[in-house]
Amino acid sequence: MKDKVKKDYGRWMWVLPAIVLVICLFVYPLGSQVFYSFTSKTLIKPSYGIKGLSNYTAILTDPDFWLALWTSVKWTVLSLLFQMLIGFTAALALNSIKNKVARQVYRILLIIPWAFPTIAIAIIWKWLLNGIYGFVPTLLVQLGLADQLPQFLSTPELVMPTLVMVNVWFGFPLIMVNVLAALQTVSQDQYEAAQIDGARKWHMFWYITLPHIKNVIGLLVVLRTIWVFNSFDIIYMITGGGPANVSTTLPIYIYNLGWVNKFVGRSSAAAVILLIILLTICTAYFCVLNRWEKEADA
Amino acid sequence: MKRKWIATTLVCTMLTAALAGCGGKEETGAASSDASASGGAESGAAGGELEGEITFWHSFTQGARMDAVQAAADSFMDLHPGVKINIETYSWGDFNTKWNAGITTGDLPDLSTAQNTGEVVEMINAGVAAPADNFLDTFGRDRFSEKALGDMTWDGSTYGIPYYSHAQVMWYRHDLLDAVGAKVPATWDEFYDLAVKLTDDDTYGAAFSCSTNDLLGTRYLNYYVTSGGGSLLNDDLTVNLTSDLAIEGINFWVDVYKNCSPAETVNYTVLDHATLFYQGKTAFDFNSGFMISGVQSNTPEIAEFVDAAPLPKIHADDPDYSAEATHIPLVIWENSEHPEICEAFVDWLLQEENYIPFLEAVPVGMLPAVEGISDTEAYKSNETVQFYSNAVDVISKAVELGNAIGVDDHGASVQASYLTSQGIIEAMFQDIITNGTDVNTAAKAAEDQLNEIFDMMID
Repeated sequence: MKDKVKKDYGRWMWVLPAIVLVICLFVYPLGSQVFYSFTSKTLIKPSYGIKGLSNYTAILTDPDFWLALWTSVKWTVLSLLFQMLIGFTAALALNSIKNKVARQVYRILLIIPWAFPTIAIAIIWKWLLNGIYGFVPTLLVQLGLADQLPQFLSTPELVMPTLVMVNVWFGFPLIMVNVLAALQTVSQDQYEAAQIDGARKWHMFWYITLPHIKNVIGLLVVLRTIWVFNSFDIIYMITGGGPANVSTTLPIYIYNLGWVNKFVGRSSAAAVILLIILLTICTAYFCVLNRWEKEADA
Repeated sequence: MKRKWIATTLVCTMLTAALAGCGGKEETGAASSDASASGGAESGAAGGELEGEITFWHSFTQGARMDAVQAAADSFMDLHPGVKINIETYSWGDFNTKWNAGITTGDLPDLSTAQNTGEVVEMINAGVAAPADNFLDTFGRDRFSEKALGDMTWDGSTYGIPYYSHAQVMWYRHDLLDAVGAKVPATWDEFYDLAVKLTDDDTYGAAFSCSTNDLLGTRYLNYYVTSGGGSLLNDDLTVNLTSDLAIEGINFWVDVYKNCSPAETVNYTVLDHATLFYQGKTAFDFNSGFMISGVQSNTPEIAEFVDAAPLPKIHADDPDYSAEATHIPLVIWENSEHPEICEAFVDWLLQEENYIPFLEAVPVGMLPAVEGISDTEAYKSNETVQFYSNAVDVISKAVELGNAIGVDDHGASVQASYLTSQGIIEAMFQDIITNGTDVNTAAKAAEDQLNEIFDMMID
């Protein structure tokens, strides 16, 4: 009995580092964030008091919050949609290349945008799209496609589509690589059997390819939704959320509240709301994924 | 069993080591905080007895200035072998965020620069700046401008030591003015007309920028309001964006934006904006003497045509004024365990042999904050200072006449600092320009928003 107690104690010692790490990196930040969301804490005043739900009320009655939420939804849905479309198409195209060397070369070339640090991407695109001396606007004028330099980063109607385009350019290679890996696991025997049965290409894609890779796609959608919804750096570095909040997403709204206005309490409340939104979306996604898995097992 | 115990002991050892790593700063010096009472500039000058480690945060990210400060620190450490100075560099934009976060995490320096005198007041409000009276009394208060010290004085104590000064003036290209036979504008109307006239396919008359990540909208509005004898703050330190003068100023800059500025500047920061003038894209700009080094390094072929003039007035016969003078301060932090080393090091930085090489890193951009330096042969012999002597005179006069934004007649206040750091006036301009919001409505909304922030942030 004594030995058993000792054995259990030793086991706990082994997992202790992991527990400490989880507490430091997850429980404490999340707990303090939730706690501060109910307080009047600011960034520079050491004292603060409990304010109940007033931070949440202030956030939910702020029109800028709803604008930022809507912008985040547009940013995420459009980015994800085009990243999936282009990534998927590129993966199918790469998969159809029979020459292994050529496929490897194309794959490396196409993954280049993903390999760039986002800070470099933001600076490069900001320079390329500059409305005074940028390469892209100048090229469009020289090709006769525009009368005057298009203002991609200051015309309200162009700002979000432009940012989405940059994000799609950056993000599609990840989809492509993962989908390509999944495509390569599909057995060729099934295609051959389908061909013998007279199946068309479209039927093979719909009844063989898609069922095999849909779990990978589902997981990618979950991950990319979280990443894109939370992404901050590309927009912040290119437009700073402007002009006139046109490109202010929820993470930028939260950053401004906390680090510019210095309202840590309000900023924490907005972050908790963002967390709830993402958890809800992810729960829905995982329900769908679970159903797919059950269907596959059945 | 034995192996299990060895493994368990190893895990415990690793954990203990990790926790020890998270511990506080090691006490490296013999001196304690009590030493501050007997420290000061003299102890530094005496040499030898100083011992300890300090951290110095500065925002001199340009090579020459960074090198000058590092050289001064190296020679100081040679003189005091018991002293170690750790220098950390943060851009002006990151600096405020860094120390704001440091209040919570405890990661704060012993000594730092500050972006302007307004930020010193913000530090005082947060309780992190230590009075510099001990140093100033020893070094000599009369060796600094009274206005500069006044901007950093709070409840009878002065919290910053002026390191260098600069002021906002109007910059222009006289080759472009000569080409249209125009003289340097003295009023805002003359400036506007000329800026519109000089706007063509290749050049813009002037740029108006208002990124919410910077202070340019506030700065430009402040030029106009100050030129009319007004202020962006009321006597009770609430914001005033709805006075007739402020509304006139907002309309003026919106017109400048619409008629002679690149459209993209609606989202431009200080650096993006200044780069337009550096590259010869704009005929006029408003900035400090840093403009010269920017033009020299970007487009040296136009550097000889660049000159400065006082900010325009509303009426030609209005009194001379200066809308914004900045004295970049050095601040000793309340948490410092070695204020005596900080004071001795500041004294060392301001010694002529260290100070002039620092100022020469950006000649004309950084004017001396210490009396008498500008009269020394070493300072006057600089070629850039000689070539741009008119600009030096214009900026020097603006330094004498001016204060930080919002300080003017009201004295130093946290409100003055918050006026420029919130991006709300810039958001107001963006709203008017982008959404076509009525000027009065947008000004009232921005005024209310800033006043709400003042109420929440200031005790």
